[in-house]
Amino acid sequence: MKKTKLLFGIGILAVVGAVLVAADHIDAPGTTGNTADIADFYGFESPSNPANTVFIVDLQTDVLPDLAYGPFDEDVLTEINIDTNDDLIEDLVIQAIPRKDTMYFFGPVVPAETGKMSEVMVGSPLGQVAISGESALTTTTEDGISLFAGPRQDAFFFDFGQFNKVIGGTAPEGFLPEGEAVDTFDGANTMALVIEIPNSILGETTAKNALGLTVYKTWVTTNRKQ
Amino acid sequence: MKIHTLKYMFLSLCAATMFVACDDDDALEMVETTCTDGIMNGTETGVDCGGTSCQPCEDGGGDADGDGDDMMVTPPDFSGTYAQVDFMGRPGINTVLSIDDFKDPYNQAVPSTIAEFYQKDFENRLEGLHDVYAELLGLDPDDVNYQPNILGDILNGPDKDGFTDNPVSAELLTTILANDVLEVAPDLPTTYFNPGTGAPDYEGAIGLTGRTLQDDVIDVSLILLFGGGDGARFNGQEVEGVGTFPRLVSDGVAITANPTDTFPYLGAPE
Repeated sequence: MKKTKLLFGIGILAVVGAVLVAADHIDAPGTTGNTADIADFYGFESPSNPANTVFIVDLQTDVLPDLAYGPFDEDVLTEINIDTNDDLIEDLVIQAIPRKDTMYFFGPVVPAETGKMSEVMVGSPLGQVAISGESALTTTTEDGISLFAGPRQDAFFFDFGQFNKVIGGTAPEGFLPEGEAVDTFDGANTMALVIEIPNSILGETTAKNALGLTVYKTWVTTNRKQ
Repeated sequence: MKIHTLKYMFLSLCAATMFVACDDDDALEMVETTCTDGIMNGTETGVDCGGTSCQPCEDGGGDADGDGDDMMVTPPDFSGTYAQVDFMGRPGINTVLSIDDFKDPYNQAVPSTIAEFYQKDFENRLEGLHDVYAELLGLDPDDVNYQPNILGDILNGPDKDGFTDNPVSAELLTTILANDVLEVAPDLPTTYFNPGTGAPDYEGAIGLTGRTLQDDVIDVSLILLFGGGDGARFNGQEVEGVGTFPRLVSDGVAITANPTDTFPYLGAPE
């Protein structure tokens, strides 16, 4: 019972800071609103070519009024980590880092070291693309890799306001029904990195998901220059 | 040798007098291009840069028009070490299962160690959220615990009952979720999660092959966390003798952005 009360207390406390801390999207005090803040991560089969995989990384978001988005930060290296042997340690990385008006991509390559420290794998250039403004500028390399970097719609959808009440223990009804609920992310923008890459370049994987299907196990990190 | 000497003399003259608009058709085309001679020659569009053989030119006049005011590009400097600041795999993990105390250190974690350090916190958080609703319903929190979810049936076969035979316990679920990676199948269509026909058989259930822009990842997460054995345990329903249960298995919103089927897939900024 004591434990219960304590946990309930945590719920109430959470509501105080919830607006700042409640999502991957607007996640932790240490990254919220800064240029290394990861808003979202997607990975899917290309709708136009099933032999390609698409990765999207959204950095920053302006979902809340005091959260600006963009520009990209030259001191921030974004890294898509790919585990192909099921040990949850990255076997390959795809990296993106901006210089002036261009986003440079590297990999897929075995990283110099795994874990929390990274260096740009300059020996494995993948391609580069001009950073877009309102209109999308894209490029496709000779290897069939498509690249994009720039501001885009934040596609995430979530009634974030009601969620704060739910985790705060102040919403006995829980979430609101369809029609009353509000997508807090409607109208929000984010700085997006998009790469579409042939699976043949990503290579083989032996990792399995819980259903026994063969998958890449992927995650994204941002890394700031020391 | 004599001819070469003459050519270099002519080139030097070009440079000295800034007379550099050498036509492709003139005799200079015969000169072997060099990218380090301090002279704009061959197909170069600036001094020692541009054209078919040399590094691209950087904007000197910005025009690459052959007037010699363009400069060689300084290769971008990517040196140094970069330390992890933020981390994300599955959507909604930090959202629902993390709390203030460990959101920052969680971002510094790596997937291979997250389960070890955070699974217990996630489990406590999950049970804690159920306790919150027990309190709101005026029930004893000891009676309103996490119940195994529909993954039990999907992972172990449709004939089993998620409540009893194939329990996906709070511990097991949070252990799976704590391995915070997004699984992307290279050779299968992408479905974040689709329970198929639903309870009790879940025929056609598929998923865990990636995440599209349209997937309602929050609803899926909520179903797994609060849906219990039939996926609708906390669904705003009236329960005799207890009252109205909270609506916790959907946040009630669908996508409002406008993703497309063509690269780069995301809609234009608003």
